[in-house]
Amino acid sequence: MAIGKAKNWVNGVSESNDAISRIREFVLQKFPLARKRKVENSDNLLESGVIDSLGVLELVAFLQQEFGVAISDDDLTPENFKNIECMAQFVESMLEPQPGAIE
Amino acid sequence: MDFLIHHLLRNSAARYPDKEALVHGTRRLTYREVADGCASVASGLRAAGMQRGDRVGIYLDPSVEQVLSIFSVSQAGGVYVPINSVLVPDQVAHIARDCGMKALITTPDKLEMLLPALHDVSSLQFFVITSKSNGHAPTDIKVDSTPVHRFEEMLRSPVEGSLPDWGISLDLAAILYTSGSTGKPKGVMLSHANVMAGSTIVSTYLEISQRDRILAVLPFSFDAGMNQLMTAFQQAATIVLIKFVFAKEIIDALLSEHITGLAGVPTVWSLLANGGILKHGFPELRYVTNTGGAMPQAVLKVLREALPTTKIFLMYGLTEAFRSTYLPPEELDRRPTSMGKAIPDTEILVLNERGARCQPAEVGELVHRGPTVSMGYWGNPEATDRVLKPSPLLPPELGDCEKVCYSGDLVKMDEDGFLYYVGRRDTMIKSSGYRISPTEVEEVLFQTGRIRQAAAIGIPDEVLGQTIKAFIVAKDGTPLDCDAILDFCVERMPRHMVPKRLEIMNELPKTSSGKVDYPALRRREGL
Repeated sequence: MAIGKAKNWVNGVSESNDAISRIREFVLQKFPLARKRKVENSDNLLESGVIDSLGVLELVAFLQQEFGVAISDDDLTPENFKNIECMAQFVESMLEPQPGAIE
Repeated sequence: MDFLIHHLLRNSAARYPDKEALVHGTRRLTYREVADGCASVASGLRAAGMQRGDRVGIYLDPSVEQVLSIFSVSQAGGVYVPINSVLVPDQVAHIARDCGMKALITTPDKLEMLLPALHDVSSLQFFVITSKSNGHAPTDIKVDSTPVHRFEEMLRSPVEGSLPDWGISLDLAAILYTSGSTGKPKGVMLSHANVMAGSTIVSTYLEISQRDRILAVLPFSFDAGMNQLMTAFQQAATIVLIKFVFAKEIIDALLSEHITGLAGVPTVWSLLANGGILKHGFPELRYVTNTGGAMPQAVLKVLREALPTTKIFLMYGLTEAFRSTYLPPEELDRRPTSMGKAIPDTEILVLNERGARCQPAEVGELVHRGPTVSMGYWGNPEATDRVLKPSPLLPPELGDCEKVCYSGDLVKMDEDGFLYYVGRRDTMIKSSGYRISPTEVEEVLFQTGRIRQAAAIGIPDEVLGQTIKAFIVAKDGTPLDCDAILDFCVERMPRHMVPKRLEIMNELPKTSSGKVDYPALRRREGL
């Protein structure tokens, strides 16, 4: 399925797809249940119990380090973390040259 | 006179019929509605064939139905067995088999998932299923010959007068399954008197009243979680249920529901401390309680800053004795790492190997004496005898009419009688408030068929208390794929039991008698 926005501003690499694959790799590596269930990028990881409250904290630490973004606790919402696509879009919105320019 | 659990509800409903009792999402029930609902379901359970003392499993997420089920089973004369909804089918089947479960109350989806694991549980005589989450009645659950009743229909069961009580306070009320240092989880038996004493004692020192609004984030399969529900209904307070992933969900509920009391385990407080609790004021929050492990000092500092007007109670308890100690909030400054003193009407002894009282600062085992000492482990008198014993300090003329509870927790006492946790006497692991037996983890690792030896130990963790590290030795020297082993584990145990780390070894260290040398493995990790 179509995934996120294709922005070619880093050496022609689609930032969305790049974020998706990096986050996906982390999720699969860190959460065995995600690996076992072969989760899709659009699968809800919170409702299915793949990621719980502590898992979210691990994800936050990863996203901050991996993408150099500062995630505030106001950002910790199901909308931003429910699936891999949403996490990628959320990170990408933080990487926008103009902060807050969320499409 | 209130002497059975459902009497608490009956009494509060008589005094405050229109008071809000139970809130879950958009559902709000008054005491009258909860009491009427429980009476109907109790009557429905009896009509379905429930007899005095029958064990009824409750495998539900936090919900109105879950609370009604607990009190309905009591009212019907049965024993409720709350099962944490994070448990996997094999674990639920173990509990059902172990307690000779007669009926199980669950959702259609969960029942479907459980059925293959439950096929050999011959004691199960009927199921009760709630509506699907979308509100639609379940339609096509196929269960060989076991009748499936609808919770919704039971709620409409006619009640003529009040259902006669079958039991007395000494009867078994609940079985809570918990792990020890070996083997599968054991069922801790609580009498009605145990549960009522726990409720009275805790609501006394927390000063709970009908003005309180309590947020329940701990599962009711956990003694402290269940006690929250009991204190709320005993004091005609309001209890609000939530299921959460984000700290924000707890914070929103604290604010929008005007919560005055919250009980948590260290992981809950860590989440809140990292999740924006400092940005809000909680003037209505009268008290919070921590149990299930020591609160990290850094987290405690944030909480005290965020909740300047809230009383913070650090508590300690073990399922076998229900609730044991608490630190009065005014002692927090002087003894922030203490687990406090005995709860009211309870005596806590620190005994050495010879069964004598320890001197201050001398490490000994915490031994609990009081009305919340449980009835032991269901169907396991040998294990019971290892934990519940006659008190060595009582005059022998008393005989062994009274048992005290040997906790297995090593503690020490300061000059003023305040207690400090030191560690476990055995190999039990505690993570995120859950007790985990190393052998249960090791058994699952063996089930892969690729492992010759396995040993699991607890590694200290700031947030979780402990995490699990497992050492494994391959069969026949074939290479092991750690990812594949963890994949196998996640299907067979809940997340809190899955090892965080695996280390492959050529051989495990052994004691002279040939057993796995756990202390050597801990030393290897610098512990």
